[in-house]
Amino acid sequence: MTNEVGIKVENLTKIFGSGESEVRVLENASLEVKKGEFAALVAPSGAGKTTLLMMLGCVIEPTSGKIWLGDELVWDEDHWSTPDTRRIRREKIGFIFQAHYLIPFLNIVENVKLIPLVNGWPDEKAEKKAMELLDYFDITDKRDAMPSQLSGGQNQRAAIARALSNEPKIILADEPTAALDMERAVSVVKMLRRIVEEQNVAIIMVTHDDRLLPYCDKILSIENRKVVTTTQSAHLIV
Amino acid sequence: MINLAYKDIAHSYLKFIVTAMGVGMLLGIVLIMIGVYRGMVIDAQVLLDDIGADLWVVQENTLGPFAESSRVHEDLKNTLWVNPEIDKTAALAFLNLQIKTPDGVMKRVYSVGYDPHGDLPAINPERLVAGRSIEKSHYEIVVSEKLGFRLQDKIRLGRNIYTVVGITKGAVSSGGDPVIYVSLKDAQELQFLYSNARIRNDRARGLKVDADNHLVNAVVATVVKGSDPDAVAENIRRWKHLSAFTVSDERNILTKNVIETASKQIGMFTVILVGVSTIIIALIIYTMTLEKIKEISIMKLVGLPNMTITKMIAQETVTLGVLAFIFGNLFAHAIWDKFPKRVVLEMDDAWALFSIILVASILASLFGVYKAIKADPSAAIGG
Repeated sequence: MTNEVGIKVENLTKIFGSGESEVRVLENASLEVKKGEFAALVAPSGAGKTTLLMMLGCVIEPTSGKIWLGDELVWDEDHWSTPDTRRIRREKIGFIFQAHYLIPFLNIVENVKLIPLVNGWPDEKAEKKAMELLDYFDITDKRDAMPSQLSGGQNQRAAIARALSNEPKIILADEPTAALDMERAVSVVKMLRRIVEEQNVAIIMVTHDDRLLPYCDKILSIENRKVVTTTQSAHLIV
Repeated sequence: MINLAYKDIAHSYLKFIVTAMGVGMLLGIVLIMIGVYRGMVIDAQVLLDDIGADLWVVQENTLGPFAESSRVHEDLKNTLWVNPEIDKTAALAFLNLQIKTPDGVMKRVYSVGYDPHGDLPAINPERLVAGRSIEKSHYEIVVSEKLGFRLQDKIRLGRNIYTVVGITKGAVSSGGDPVIYVSLKDAQELQFLYSNARIRNDRARGLKVDADNHLVNAVVATVVKGSDPDAVAENIRRWKHLSAFTVSDERNILTKNVIETASKQIGMFTVILVGVSTIIIALIIYTMTLEKIKEISIMKLVGLPNMTITKMIAQETVTLGVLAFIFGNLFAHAIWDKFPKRVVLEMDDAWALFSIILVASILASLFGVYKAIKADPSAAIGG
């Protein structure tokens, strides 16, 4: 872990609707996850985990507050730093979802190298990076397979490879283990832990599974519309 | 960059091809409809071109044998011939008949009666595929190959039995019915001579039996070299109390008056079919986009620009349009000769349809593109 900011949020507020239908999801919430830190985001259903994740991913607009991704202030009270928020997502963030959500009509290597190619990488460089990642996750032999031909665990590994393909410094994972059994869930979390340590990225992982928390450095919980941070020593290190 | 449209199509190529074939059949029907119209225009002019006259002289205040009933005296051909600007003349009789084909089916035919010894034979020698033209004044008949007769077959028409001496190909009336040729005398008898029973009946009623069957439906003429057919026609109209039309007038009458309603009908069908094809392509693309909406949300979430997604949808739509156009052409060319009337498939029509389908496909893709652009990337997150 370094002291460099991975994700930083200050006084973030999100209000849906107005008047009688107003719903305050977050109110002056703050948090910080440094590069090389693995944070778990836990809260009961409906507490605003996904909303927070979407704001960090520049998908929905906060009502107020500030968000930094790395050293870039991406949301400043009432506006994005750039109208092209997809560029921020493409270049800075890797997403991992509950399901693998690989594009079904692309094979595994194409899925992994798609974002680098969109980012303007030459094909050889994108291919090399994709193959490195497939090797890292031990699915090199599946490079030409379609997602429908792979098991759930293999697809999830390919999805993580895709999330890392643009060399992001931030990974947002939305319950990546929800669809897996405990053995595979632990395997995925161990992989994320390895990535945090080896690639110095900041990860926020939404989870409902307390058994995975020991792998994390930090637990972010949403209580009374604020984020409460509990720092711990990740004692179940790979 | 990976071509997403190509990858998507390759992933479900069978479904895509079957869809393109379905739309293609619809486009094939559009091509056939256009071909039917073209065929009607050509059919309408077959007799006109085969007879090759410069002038058509018919009963006063009528539009001639193809558009209105017309009767003139046969000897009008002699009256006209004395005009120094007239080169050749011929009297013609036209009649719709039902004829029993060798397989026992009654078929509607268009009978053309002409003088086999005259200056202007009605049969175009290029259309004769077997036998010869009529050489005798009676009881010889030349038929269309569509009727299924063979040379020397016997056909009963009216009171008499005719022998098939020639078979033609492609000779049709303005309505697309096969043409049969008989001598003028036989045609006059068929048209104007009553049956014996009718004659007896008329006599019993004290009616005068009109035995004059020296009437024809039109007299055609060619003008001498250097004469202006329009001026000759005007002259005939002024002095002879007849209607006279140049060949271009007749062509107009045939294409404007005779087949106009039918061609408008076909035009309407064609426009509707093109519209339906566009809507179907739009619906298919829209449905294909809806099927991929989760993937599109993911693509947007991970940062793919709208342009990349729009390009994918547009390319798939255009590919569908192009494939459908190819299948449509193959389909149209496979079935065109199965139609009872002439179908003329022209490349110009095919390319015009291709342009329309290309534009329609791009417009149709806008529905899918709109849906894709509106797709919420946040839909990819959460359960």
